[in-house]
Amino acid sequence: MLHIARLTWNFFRIGILNELQYRANFFIQLLQSLIALAVGLVGLSLVFSHTTALGGWSRPELLAVMGVHLMMGGLIRMTIQPNMQRLMGDVREGTLDYALTKPADSQALVSVRQIQLWQGVDVLMGLGVLAVATLQLQAVLSIRVALAFVAALLCGGLMVYAFWLILTTGAFWVIRMEHIVELFDGVYAAGRYPVSLYPDWLRTGLTFLVPVAFAVTVPAEAITGRLTSTTLLQAFGLALALLAVARWFWFFGLRHYAGASA
Amino acid sequence: MRNLLAFYWQTMKTAVIIEFQYATAQYFYMIGMVAEPVIYLVVWTTIAASQGGVVGGYTAGQFAAYYIVWTLVRNMNIVFTPYGWEWRIREGQLSGMLLRPLHPLHMDVAWFAGWKVVVIVLWLPIAAVLALAFRPELNPTPLEMVVFFFSLWGAYLIRTMLLWLLGLITFWTTRVSALYELYFALELLLSGRLVPMGLMPAWVQTASSLLPFKWAFQFPIEALVADLTPAQLLGGLGLQALWILAGLAGVQIVWRAAVRQYSAVGG
Amino acid sequence: MPLIHVAQLCKTYQVPEREAGLGAALRSLVRRKTRAVKAVDAISFDIDAGEVVGFLGPNGAGKTTTLKMLSGLLHPTGGAASVLGFQPQRREAAFLRQITLVMGNRNQLQWDIPALDSFELNRTIYALPAAEFRRTRDEYIALMEVGDLVRKPVRNLSLGERMKMELIGALLHRPQVLFLDEPTLGLDVTMQRRLRAFVAEYNRRTGATVLLTSHYMADVEALCKRVLVIHHGRLLYDGGLSGLAERFAAYKTIGVTLDADTAGAVAWDAYGEVVERDGAHVRLRVPKAETARMTAQLLADQPVIDLTVEDPPIEDVIERVFAAGTAEASHA
Repeated sequence: MLHIARLTWNFFRIGILNELQYRANFFIQLLQSLIALAVGLVGLSLVFSHTTALGGWSRPELLAVMGVHLMMGGLIRMTIQPNMQRLMGDVREGTLDYALTKPADSQALVSVRQIQLWQGVDVLMGLGVLAVATLQLQAVLSIRVALAFVAALLCGGLMVYAFWLILTTGAFWVIRMEHIVELFDGVYAAGRYPVSLYPDWLRTGLTFLVPVAFAVTVPAEAITGRLTSTTLLQAFGLALALLAVARWFWFFGLRHYAGASA
Repeated sequence: MRNLLAFYWQTMKTAVIIEFQYATAQYFYMIGMVAEPVIYLVVWTTIAASQGGVVGGYTAGQFAAYYIVWTLVRNMNIVFTPYGWEWRIREGQLSGMLLRPLHPLHMDVAWFAGWKVVVIVLWLPIAAVLALAFRPELNPTPLEMVVFFFSLWGAYLIRTMLLWLLGLITFWTTRVSALYELYFALELLLSGRLVPMGLMPAWVQTASSLLPFKWAFQFPIEALVADLTPAQLLGGLGLQALWILAGLAGVQIVWRAAVRQYSAVGG
Repeated sequence: MPLIHVAQLCKTYQVPEREAGLGAALRSLVRRKTRAVKAVDAISFDIDAGEVVGFLGPNGAGKTTTLKMLSGLLHPTGGAASVLGFQPQRREAAFLRQITLVMGNRNQLQWDIPALDSFELNRTIYALPAAEFRRTRDEYIALMEVGDLVRKPVRNLSLGERMKMELIGALLHRPQVLFLDEPTLGLDVTMQRRLRAFVAEYNRRTGATVLLTSHYMADVEALCKRVLVIHHGRLLYDGGLSGLAERFAAYKTIGVTLDADTAGAVAWDAYGEVVERDGAHVRLRVPKAETARMTAQLLADQPVIDLTVEDPPIEDVIERVFAAGTAEASHA
């Protein structure tokens, strides 16, 4: 465990040093994030120029959802997505063997090799939006709420990671998986609004097929005082289950990969 | 003229053959794209329900019709990406295009037009599923259908010109991504892609009708979904034609300058 | 009027100068520092119809830049060029219909479909009459011996096979002027020979003019009676391939055969530098000016059985030209 932590830290450090060489990208990312934020805010004010509540969510509450969505999106694009895309590339080009011959846990290794530092702009911006939203909500941020929020966020993030790893492991069988990135981006956009808005079939899909609900809506529920301990427990249990499945599937895929390339 | 038609026919045929080879990949892409209008649709249907069934003149069924037709128009709107020019220049594709005795705009228009045929075929099942899930209200007249058909291609041509103009900036500077994102954001708000312009404040609606974006997006949808008068329908087609001509003129001018720039600095 | 006329042609690039650091990067957004680089520096030559001319020079000498100017892709910064009576940079359709530019590793064929379909596309781009097009196409297919390969998707072809298709596609409109930039780059010897033979045959059948660059001297030796040597953007030599050795080779090689007994006792160093020694046969490198004197001396001093005088291999000569050019340029 300590070994994995040290490994992660080293890759993280090297990744950051690498990214610092492309500082101009920071400004580009900042501009793009600002534009995206502006569009999101315009969308929100359009909605509330025609109504006072959307499916029971007030304006500041939806702002909080937007903040979490931005933040989680930034996190995914900063850490999970680049690693999984590199993994897909490695499988396609046959360069995965280099990673597999290192004396470290293979799943940990392929999960921490890449970082897109400048995507962190979205994380910070999401935090900012969230801060504004909580101010507008005039909610009392008790330690309990904060803890619940962080726990929900962590569970959601782990579920997205497990989901991505399962999909990417599929690349061992189906080589052309690049398009799932676009597919995921499209579906993740649905998290901009609370999943309770969507029709049943879609809500189920966004909860269990693609864990958008747990990644965005549940943490936002924590901030807006909607989160029940049952939901949080569910999130925790599901995160553990998904992680276990992902790990099993990864090693299953590896065995298949070794068999196919031998 | 006959030669040009032969060229268009052959290029479109080739595009259809090639793009069909990637049908699976395209399906992933198209399904990912459906998420966007579904989100808008759900949000506005919810609002309409909370406001007594109608918002901005649209009922739930009309919203459904709007955003389902939206998916086809959006697909017709996909043309050569402005981000692609950097690749064309770097990989020497541009040199190849410049050596041919034919304007490269023809090549793009013809190629993507062929691709659209594939896209429309792939779109039909998606539209069917969406229609089953969201129950659109759609009763077009024959005239509306005819105008819709032509306006789809009008929208395609307008957006081709717009994105060509945008992409040609690459000849002067490659740091364009923020600019492009700004353009796409404006287009999203002013074209009817985010919401029908009727839901926007009046001044935005005025601005939108003076800009080309709406004629490349909302007009074809409205032609089929809304109850436009014959005068509005034909007038819209006329305005599309005007924007196509303006776009052509713009592309001609900027293209000439771009090639001069390219032949000064090399690829 | 020659078919290709080039007079004092120049091309200068403005290359941005980059300094390290964020501050410099930001400053460069406002005012960019540039430096002028002369890629082609006042070169002049004429090429007549039907000639096959080799264009030699190391990487970055200005060969590709010149070819791009002659095919209309680049605008000269000075001087003038005319090809077939056209000003290339105006890129008139009538001009483009009569030329072709092939760049070794640049692909103009559609990757996912058989070359045959790409050819069809070319037919419509150049508006070729169907019957004539078919005749030309089948003629080339037979000449290149690519038979059924034209029906396979291009992505499934080998590099050499793709290059064959590339060349066929580039010549379907029967251009009168061919600019070939490293057409054989990365191909194996057999494939190089096949492409070479095709170009030679095309030139013989159509009387087209060919200007060709290649890293492989074998290409140039087989195809070109005349070569242009360019280095650091300047034209160093324009003439026959054999003249190149005469003008630039500083040495000749004398091969001498004596009988086995005497050969061992001779002090060869007195005549020249020994390059190779094999029993009674010795090869000596001798400064060009000394060749006649040394030959006479050898014949007078030694019981010579056989004696030959040779120019060094053309690769060595070229290498010398460039080495000399570099030395010259570094003094300038």
